[in-house]
Amino acid sequence: MRGVVNILIASVGGQGGLTLSRIIAEASVIQGLSVRTGETLGMAQRFGSVLSFVRVGERVLSPIFGQGEADYLLGLELVETLRAVGYLRNSGLAIAADEYKPPVISSLRPAPGWSKDSVARTLKEVLGDRLLFIPARRLAVKAGSHRAINVVLLGVLNASAQLFTHRVVEEAISRVLHGKAAEISVKAYYEGFNLYRESVGEGCRGG
Amino acid sequence: MGNEAIARGAFEAGVRVVTGYPGTPSSEVIMTFHEEGRGLPIYVEWAVNERVAFEVAYGAALAGVRSLVTMKAPGLNVASDPIVSAAYSGVEGGLVVLVADDPGPHTTQTEQDSRWYAKLAKLPMFTASTPGEVKDTVKKLFKLSEELKLPVMLRTTTRLNHAVGEVVLGEVEVLNPRPSFRKDPPRFVRAGMKWNLERHIWLNNVLARVEEAASKLSFNSAEGGGDHCVVTEGVAYTYVKESLGWIKDIDVRVIKVDQIYPPPKAFLRRHLAECRRVLVVEELDPYLESEVKKIAFEEGLKLEVAGKEEGLLPLEGELNPALVREALSKWLNKNVGGKPTKLYEAVVPERPPPLCPGCPHTFSYLALKLGIARAGFKLSEVPIFGDIGCYALSVNKPIEAIWTEHSMGASISMAMGLKIAGYDKPVVATIGDSTFFHAGIPALIEAVHKRVDLLVLILDNRVVAMTGHQSTPSWEVTESGRSARRIEIVDVVKSIGVDEVVVVDPYELDKMVEAVSSLIRRPGVKVIVARHPCRLMEVRELKTIRKFRVLEDKCTGCRACVNVTGCPALYFEGGKVRILGDDCTGCGLCARFCPYNAIVEEDGG
Repeated sequence: MRGVVNILIASVGGQGGLTLSRIIAEASVIQGLSVRTGETLGMAQRFGSVLSFVRVGERVLSPIFGQGEADYLLGLELVETLRAVGYLRNSGLAIAADEYKPPVISSLRPAPGWSKDSVARTLKEVLGDRLLFIPARRLAVKAGSHRAINVVLLGVLNASAQLFTHRVVEEAISRVLHGKAAEISVKAYYEGFNLYRESVGEGCRGG
Repeated sequence: MGNEAIARGAFEAGVRVVTGYPGTPSSEVIMTFHEEGRGLPIYVEWAVNERVAFEVAYGAALAGVRSLVTMKAPGLNVASDPIVSAAYSGVEGGLVVLVADDPGPHTTQTEQDSRWYAKLAKLPMFTASTPGEVKDTVKKLFKLSEELKLPVMLRTTTRLNHAVGEVVLGEVEVLNPRPSFRKDPPRFVRAGMKWNLERHIWLNNVLARVEEAASKLSFNSAEGGGDHCVVTEGVAYTYVKESLGWIKDIDVRVIKVDQIYPPPKAFLRRHLAECRRVLVVEELDPYLESEVKKIAFEEGLKLEVAGKEEGLLPLEGELNPALVREALSKWLNKNVGGKPTKLYEAVVPERPPPLCPGCPHTFSYLALKLGIARAGFKLSEVPIFGDIGCYALSVNKPIEAIWTEHSMGASISMAMGLKIAGYDKPVVATIGDSTFFHAGIPALIEAVHKRVDLLVLILDNRVVAMTGHQSTPSWEVTESGRSARRIEIVDVVKSIGVDEVVVVDPYELDKMVEAVSSLIRRPGVKVIVARHPCRLMEVRELKTIRKFRVLEDKCTGCRACVNVTGCPALYFEGGKVRILGDDCTGCGLCARFCPYNAIVEEDGG
């Protein structure tokens, strides 16, 4: 692991982006790593664009980083993933859920000629093999709830970045979530982790 | 999180009274006490507004009890009247005033730099850089406040309040305070001008002791050597430290200032004397920069000082590591940290936060616009004054309702101002329930007393929704479990003597349209209380919600549904509207406005 790993979580308010950043922060503390996250909270962010900066390493100070500095971009929604692409460094990896919630403004007249396929296509064109396109909803529902899409991406991230042991992730999830939500999230984490291992393979892309 | 760390620091310091008014990014301090502090012998409650919050905490501090009051930057403006007086009277128990500024801004109407307030109020102010540090800062400030017998301010910014990081927990002080209050009019009565003059002299003498008292508690620090110095504070310190990690060949001295006011002159003199070139890195206004220049002038130091006034850093917006590296690169005339390798700049439509699916405010503003039209007026001639809260999001497309959003309670008084200026068409003020309690009541009294013709909509969703669902004076049990007396808005409005008051449920859209269209034409102050719980909270309590689906063969893609409601649970794909099932709350507003009946309730719903 390099000095500091910069992770950007791009989501629509209400999708669980903040919960995900909190789980990664808890996992870092349990793993004995230094961590900072930077984000804006409050209901004002409901259904708005939300960026969560997460930085994990031996000694981290700043809660945010600049454009072109993210090692990982976790996109919980396609439009927000595309919006945040500028933060990814050219050696970075984008892990994008195939969720599509276009902003209200793009649904108003006049029609913008904008669709899930076109957003996904643009992402693929721009990122090429630096994009992992994840059927996150399918895996989250398989684990028990669509609400666990965020943790599916954590599974993919950890399979690639190898930041935390499984036990640490499970402990972090149980600190942030409780009861059934925690159970489902643990399953969803493994769904994401195994997907990466099976489809991308360890040798295919170094962490 | 920084705010959790602040709560923890106050808890470790033996705080007994915690109050404030919700405001991003400060709210989670009190929310943390509510979540984690059940059963503790600590009074933790939201107050009706920031000045009341400060006065409550101040009253407790007079009794020798450690108290904390929290607010966002505009809240400090509201509380400034009692705060400025409190500097003359002082405290017995420690009193820490948290003010959370919002460079960016992310969620605030201005980029107010509250550091100037410390100077104006003549109250000591401190800051911190990380969540771990701020916890200990709070503990130290309680001690300092008691030693100086003055309220002490803690100034933070969003990137500290909302930053998550490691915090090492400490011991909890056991104080067992015995509240007492001794009569001392020269100290506590600000009606005696001779006393006021004496207390001003006292205050200036105390301020002269702040640096010495603070240095015993170890504030301010300097690292590195050489004659190139960076003076910084708060979160900007973390950007400076990480940026300097890229430089190997030049020694740069970092002077970290935690004591914002009064400036730590001895500390700065000592370190600036070693410097030849100084870069000041701070957020918002060039506050520290002016202090550094002043000290250099006073001491006759030959310093080349650079910062915002020299254009190395922006005067607006928040800083980030990239901006700081850029400034350092220019200042040192070398490339610090290399250019970031950006892949691609995407152009995608903005996504400002909309009103939520099923939000009663959507219904209210729709009813207001329809009612104005039904009464025979053009929407372009009836100004709708807005206020602070979720409903300000009605400014966005497609609802585009409010014409102004200014400061807490201003909707009613500004609307009155327009009317008394001679505006000859109807004028409407719209204000949320908590905002009405906070600052709308005096404005309504003013309008009623002066017999102004005004329609006031009080959007009563029974909660402070925007900042995360905090209690209002209409709650019967507060977050802490405290039994509370419900204050009814209708009772308050009636007792003020408005000409007419109507209570409607905005979900009954036709009734509300009718109420608007009939009241708007009548003289006097008319109030419509539009009462429906915040939909996000209501849905949590409902066992089932109605489900809707789109009949694809009937949907023509006309977009009437989304053009009317602006609902974020609707979108278009392949020329047809689709419903995001996860987000739809089953309010049925889109179905009502579909001209082709293409959105229908699912069977059994």
